[in-house]
Amino acid sequence: MTNTLIYKFSLTFLLFISSVSAMAELELRISKTSDDGIPIYLANIAGGANGIIEGDLKRSGRFTVIDRSKITNIPAYGSTLNAGAYSNIADYIVRGKPLNGGLEVELTSTSDNAKTIYNISSNSNNRRVAHQAADKIYEKITRERGAFDTRLAYVTVTNKTSDNRMFRLYVSDADGHRPKAILSSRLPVMSPAWSPDAKQLAYVSFEENTSAIYVQNIFTGQKRKISARDGINGAPAWSPDGNRLAMSLSVNGSPDIYIANVNNGQLTRVTTSSAIDTEPSWSGTNSLVFTSNRGGSPQLYRIAASGGTVQRLTFDGKYNSAADIANKKLAYVRGNRGAFNIAIRSLNSSGADTLSNGQLDESPTLSPNGAMVAYTTLKNGDNTLAVVSDNAKARQFLTSPVGDVREPAWSPYLTQ
Amino acid sequence: MKTTTIRSALTIMLSTLLLTACSSQNIKDTAGSDNDSNKPIISSNSGTTNGTLGSDGTSKVITSEQDGTNFNYLPGANNDPNNTQDISLAGLSDSSNLLSQRVIYFDYDKAAIRPEYMVLINTHAKLLAKYPNLKMRLEGHADERGSREYNVALSEARSQSVKNIMVAQGPSDNQIRTIGFGEEIPIVRGHNTKSWQKNRRVEIKYDDY
Repeated sequence: MTNTLIYKFSLTFLLFISSVSAMAELELRISKTSDDGIPIYLANIAGGANGIIEGDLKRSGRFTVIDRSKITNIPAYGSTLNAGAYSNIADYIVRGKPLNGGLEVELTSTSDNAKTIYNISSNSNNRRVAHQAADKIYEKITRERGAFDTRLAYVTVTNKTSDNRMFRLYVSDADGHRPKAILSSRLPVMSPAWSPDAKQLAYVSFEENTSAIYVQNIFTGQKRKISARDGINGAPAWSPDGNRLAMSLSVNGSPDIYIANVNNGQLTRVTTSSAIDTEPSWSGTNSLVFTSNRGGSPQLYRIAASGGTVQRLTFDGKYNSAADIANKKLAYVRGNRGAFNIAIRSLNSSGADTLSNGQLDESPTLSPNGAMVAYTTLKNGDNTLAVVSDNAKARQFLTSPVGDVREPAWSPYLTQ
Repeated sequence: MKTTTIRSALTIMLSTLLLTACSSQNIKDTAGSDNDSNKPIISSNSGTTNGTLGSDGTSKVITSEQDGTNFNYLPGANNDPNNTQDISLAGLSDSSNLLSQRVIYFDYDKAAIRPEYMVLINTHAKLLAKYPNLKMRLEGHADERGSREYNVALSEARSQSVKNIMVAQGPSDNQIRTIGFGEEIPIVRGHNTKSWQKNRRVEIKYDDY
């Protein structure tokens, strides 16, 4: 009894300190970049925005950033640029300058000397200005929306096998900078999922000694409990309209997929199997992909949000799970011959590519444009984050100086 | 540990299993293996013998000596049914009593109870039946392989398997709560077969003991 009281007191205390942001910068290590991408040269921009843009473009696996030493005589921004003179080195040249706290960025094609100028307004997070510039450049050249000005949520764990273990839920920029802890708990925190407006996170927390799904505003910290039914309350996933949360509940026996209305709490049941049904992901406004072992091993299935018959999506390998969907691409965990890797495929066709090469890779999450996948892998015995381009040509690791970093969740496009 | 002791203990365990099988559907899969060719491994060599699945899906036999630890995949010496005569609250804190053993281990991606744990589970069930106010929590865990929410479901299924067998022995349903922690709270850190088998478990926790 006394123990329970102490426990409750310390929980309250934990929740109190959890509102204080604990900073733990992740260390970025670039494993590989594309050497046959679109060649682009980034001139120096006062204040260093070019370095942030370079990191972004490299991460996409679609660009090869030309070494600074290859071109030393680029005229300063404002002076005339005869871009054609560099067409044998780069397809594009980027110049720019800080302007009113924001950035003015010029993109020039070396094939026709065509110029596009972007004005990015100031932001309280200075790095976001550079990410937004990178998004403009990316979209102009690839004709696909850029997703560098986005965020990651992830979970860290320190002292995981001792009684001092501590779980924290973080939000950072998509490149791992500016991390901020929004929750800490001595009991597991898992499965963060972004609302479509990128302002709220749903997650699973065992902080009250049973599993429960919460929704928390990442700016105000305001938090509410969505489901704390008997048994499992797991794997929350927001509907594209932001009004519903798909989840896995075992309140009626084996874990099944349910949909809860976020506004009025109304619950509808989607699956009714006696097997494990979990890890739902929305594949449209009214359909879900989820993991089920109803066929004897975990595989991906698709079902209408209103229930009914299922369509099996994966047949290759003994373990396919944890689907994430963006821009009609499906990323998932594929287990084969004892190794677990991240696979990607089109939502509507069956051929898949393997994107990772670790032994125990998991928790894939696509950038909103589907061009990059963040996932969890092992480095030196600890969980660490990796980001790989969908063509597998670029890979980066985001490693914590202490403990494990895992379960990345890539935000939708930011609205704030 | 004498070979004969193991043999007689196994005989009793297996007959308990057969009796209980009639009242529980959760143990129909007691071979507990992914691999059709992998029969339950029961050995009378010296030392405890553990049936495990290697990361490549092949079956392996690891003895506790090779394991280099005191980890008993089989309950071990305390599994002698003579130690279970004293089914009382005092037995919970008596290290020679089977009631002091509170961990049940599982095969990879399985929630089926291995036959060697039936005596242990039934002994705890009898204690609950004897003390109707006594409450227990079964905390299920998984190893790190596979996806995290699937592992939460798997670990809850493990604690549910234990609960179903216990309830068949007489305690009331509301004396036993279950929870699945997935792979979130490992006992050991390693990323290998030895560590994985220690992390795939259900821990029996009594509310006030």
